[in-house]
Amino acid sequence: MLEIKDLKASTGDTPILNGLSLTVKAGEVHAIMGPNGSGKSTLAQVIAGHEDYVVTEGSVEYKGRDLLELAPEERAREGIFLGFQYPVEIPGVNNAYLLKAALNAKRKHHGVDEVDAFEFLKLAREKMALLGMDPKFLNRGVNEGFSGGEKKRNEILQLAMLEPELAILDETDSGLDIDALKAVAQGVNALRSPDRAIVLVTHYQRLLDYVEPDVVHVLSGGKILRSGDKSLALELEEKGYDWVREAANA
Amino acid sequence: MTALALPDKALATAVQKLPDNALAANRQAALARFLERGFPTTRLEDWKYTDLAAVADISQRWLENGAPVPSSASIGDRVAAIRAAIDIDWIVISNGAIADGMDLAGDDGLSVATFSELAHAPGFEHPLADLNAALLPDGLHIRVRAGTHHDRPLGLLIVDGADSQPGVAQARVCIELEEGSKAQFVEYHASIGEADHYANSIVELSLARGASADYVRIQGRDGHHTQTHRTTITLQDASTVRYSGFDLGGQLVRNDLDIDIAGKEANVVVAGLYIAGEGQHIDNHVRIDHRVGPARSEQEYRGILGGRCRCVWNGKAIVRPGADGTDAEQANHNLLLSERSEIDAKPELEIYADEVKCSHGTTVGQIDEAALFYLRSRGLDKQDAMRTLTRAFGASIVSHSPIAVLTDHLTEMVEGRLSELTDGGDE
Repeated sequence: MLEIKDLKASTGDTPILNGLSLTVKAGEVHAIMGPNGSGKSTLAQVIAGHEDYVVTEGSVEYKGRDLLELAPEERAREGIFLGFQYPVEIPGVNNAYLLKAALNAKRKHHGVDEVDAFEFLKLAREKMALLGMDPKFLNRGVNEGFSGGEKKRNEILQLAMLEPELAILDETDSGLDIDALKAVAQGVNALRSPDRAIVLVTHYQRLLDYVEPDVVHVLSGGKILRSGDKSLALELEEKGYDWVREAANA
Repeated sequence: MTALALPDKALATAVQKLPDNALAANRQAALARFLERGFPTTRLEDWKYTDLAAVADISQRWLENGAPVPSSASIGDRVAAIRAAIDIDWIVISNGAIADGMDLAGDDGLSVATFSELAHAPGFEHPLADLNAALLPDGLHIRVRAGTHHDRPLGLLIVDGADSQPGVAQARVCIELEEGSKAQFVEYHASIGEADHYANSIVELSLARGASADYVRIQGRDGHHTQTHRTTITLQDASTVRYSGFDLGGQLVRNDLDIDIAGKEANVVVAGLYIAGEGQHIDNHVRIDHRVGPARSEQEYRGILGGRCRCVWNGKAIVRPGADGTDAEQANHNLLLSERSEIDAKPELEIYADEVKCSHGTTVGQIDEAALFYLRSRGLDKQDAMRTLTRAFGASIVSHSPIAVLTDHLTEMVEGRLSELTDGGDE
């Protein structure tokens, strides 16, 4: 589904990704772990199409197409979803409005009838109940005045509504209490299917107790240093990131 | 630079032509004052960004044509459209003449009369008020009787414009809310017609002890028309006014809002939204004078500017000696969609008392890139995302407008204006 080869990307004059390669197949859950500043978030932003990051070398293929030539909105409609580490507050834009616009933009792109207001409400309420969200969040400004946990749940609500083929969740677990973490994990697990792939970008292995990854990668200095199964995450938790760096340098 | 004067004789003749009513003597006095001072010029601090040369030019051409009462065949349709869109009781002032709605005077505590019927001579203390008083055929006086509450808003529709010859029209409304009364007003400025047009209007609102008014002004003039408008509001003890102004049209627009807090525990909430596109100039001057305290005032204006245009916001709060316990806040936020848009924003505080709380804040910015990317990452195309964010910027002013029955109409007007701005090739 996603094939990244020798990717180099920078912001301004600062190189951040330094020849990163990664293959994610449909049905898989990958975890990308790494210390702060290793390039985890940059990788997520580059896949979503953020214009602040310039790809200088390498390629990214998504479902066999060159992803880098697509605008952010085209990537979204083609089934890529980025769960933001810091979801943006947008006062004056109603949460329901955004959800419905996003859903219909995707449906329209795929030649499916747009949902009307009633269908939308029914669907949104269903998903919110699943995530333990109060329906009143629908009528608030997007993330406006939400707590950290509410913002992350709201990202998962969007995820649940949009049912992407490739979900990249950028530190969706950070700053969550245990209830919120479980709700997020439940939302992610509900999405697992043979047709979809999920990439969890995370600093800690805590989330991986609830969402079991097929592959774990360690990112450092803009490259993947090591990949393994879920036991790698536990080993990292025990030995720290320096262990991987030392092992790579040895 | 010379003063912006109008030819004496032609102006005197125009005044002479007006209906001979109780205002005649007052007109002559006002005329003399105007001839002395002329229009305000950009040499005055309060007018340095707004040049009334175009207004003087239209007035001059109107006088040269013999100062006809402007007329447009389409005014009736415009009035009907507004009546259909906003279902409230309207009094219509059409090209300066009080045309319709005078039968609203009832025994439910609302009295409506003309200045001439009441022999009420409008004051003039400002050059544009001089001109207004000199050329005013008649004015409208509304009184809300003490203790009466009115839940249905009263509409004041000031509509003017001419089809062929340049036109000039005056309007003046005086509203008195007696002790403990409560009412809502919608003031709608509309214009129509191909000819150049200048409208000059004054609204005076006074609130007695404990009175309360919700007031919304909507300015939806045609894109090639000009307007100067002055509103004065005087508040006595424990009175409250919530005022919102929407400037969604016009080529050259200057609004002065002068609020006089003359009573303790008065409460003033002012909000405004101006949207300007190619070729427009919209100037809002707000002055809130805290003569006594404690009292509270807050104002927030927001502007959305696209294309080559200029907007001015000047918010002044004065706290007089002894007006302790004053709480005055002012804010002005602007969204610039084009590099060719210009905003001149100036908050001013003049404080002569000690125990006061005053604050002001002004921002000028472009579309928030982080929000834009967030929306695009959810599948909204760039144009759509920009429009959504632009609309969101003005949404708080629309949704907080004090008269709920207007919200749908205002939302529609704002959206219409914004799609002209974001689709009209402005960048």
